[in-house]
Amino acid sequence: MDADVSDHLIVVTDANDGEPLTLRPSAKASILEALEIAQVEVQYHCRDGFCGACRCKIIEGSVDYFTDPLAFIDDDEILPCCSRPSSNIKIEIPK
Amino acid sequence: MKYTTFNQQVTDTMTEPMFMGNPVNVARYDQQKHQIFEKLIEKQISFFWRPEEVDVSKDRVDFQKLSAAEQHIFISNLKYQTLLDSVQGRSPNIALLPIVSIPELETWIETWSFFETIHSRSYTHILRNLFSDPSDVFDDIVVNEEIKKRATDISQYYDDLIFYTQLWQTLGEGTHTINGETHLVTMRELKKKLYLCINSVNALEAIRFYVSFACTFAFAERELMEGNSKIIRLIARDENLHLTSTQHILNLWAKGKDDPEMAEIAAELEDEARAIFMKAVEQEKEWAEYLFQSGSMIGLNKEILCQYVEYIANHRMAAIGLGQPFDVKSNPLPWMNNYLNSDNVQVAPQESEISSYLVGQIDSEVSANDFEDFEL
Repeated sequence: MDADVSDHLIVVTDANDGEPLTLRPSAKASILEALEIAQVEVQYHCRDGFCGACRCKIIEGSVDYFTDPLAFIDDDEILPCCSRPSSNIKIEIPK
Repeated sequence: MKYTTFNQQVTDTMTEPMFMGNPVNVARYDQQKHQIFEKLIEKQISFFWRPEEVDVSKDRVDFQKLSAAEQHIFISNLKYQTLLDSVQGRSPNIALLPIVSIPELETWIETWSFFETIHSRSYTHILRNLFSDPSDVFDDIVVNEEIKKRATDISQYYDDLIFYTQLWQTLGEGTHTINGETHLVTMRELKKKLYLCINSVNALEAIRFYVSFACTFAFAERELMEGNSKIIRLIARDENLHLTSTQHILNLWAKGKDDPEMAEIAAELEDEARAIFMKAVEQEKEWAEYLFQSGSMIGLNKEILCQYVEYIANHRMAAIGLGQPFDVKSNPLPWMNNYLNSDNVQVAPQESEISSYLVGQIDSEVSANDFEDFEL
């Protein structure tokens, strides 16, 4: 497999048209960047883990944070701006 | 309980609630009950900026080019933000420091308030550049009816908490008659007032700035008032961090991770908390109406601004468990995010902050030599 590509898949349960979408991000991209490359509409402000605007629900899987998230995140939530998948993940984007 | 600036009783801050426990004594951060507040302090300090670093001289020329309606929008927003930061520069300190019980939160509150004072100083910096005498603008803030309406709502929860804390700290719990008015002071009542106050502050940081931010960034999209926009971006970055802190406080309470009585109060007063947020949304929409009463500006109108307030409110209410009451599916002002992205906040002097690096800047230094080749 291409070294630049992540080992893990991201499943978005409710992409723009409400349909599920599966994408394989590049290894270096944050989840937020991966969603943007796939043209999935997602809210963001700071892109640095402190504001929480991009907060998403995580239904399955886990993520690794490359920046310590300071914004409040519930047990079933992640901040896509400062994390990468550490397993295959299934997420839901709040509208 | 009388306030003391150094509580000589031995306390264990690891078991104290955030507020209304024992007064703090040693400002120590080697052990922390809620580490998040120290992380917020570090982040906030890393954001340090001075208004004077931002060159606003070109804005004076731009301002003259704006229509009367646009000037009204610009100045009114600055007045409103001046009010908000006047309140926020003092109130967290006055209302919350007398009742805080853990040192990391105490220091966060002081750091937070200090940054609001930078914002206040930046409004003077902006207005001094636009007007040789900006006192008319400042004087109007206390008498402008539209601003006064908002000031009442913003300050009342703070004022109520401050007054009851004063009664409790001087007279203790009980029924007290002051100037013919009877006040019931119990720990439960105090905690309710604290809960409502934090909700009011949270709503303020969450949405009250955003109509103003949207107008500022809409001007910047047209390459107008860019010095001002640069300052407002720095302010917006700070406000997002302040919002995170009140969201943490509210969620720590609601999820029973701090004072168990606050978890009960959060459940009991959920409807009141929601009403505070919804009233702030209504007031922001009325503010949009007031701004655009004598004409719109390119790229923005009342309807789209109101939708944006609802969109932001949905996200911010969901973050504190209040659901998403509004039916707005996508961001009506997607370009706003470019200005709220902290990666785009410029820090390198050569980029533009220091005027001597700028191309096409206004040089305000004029010497006699500049007129040498001038003939009448």
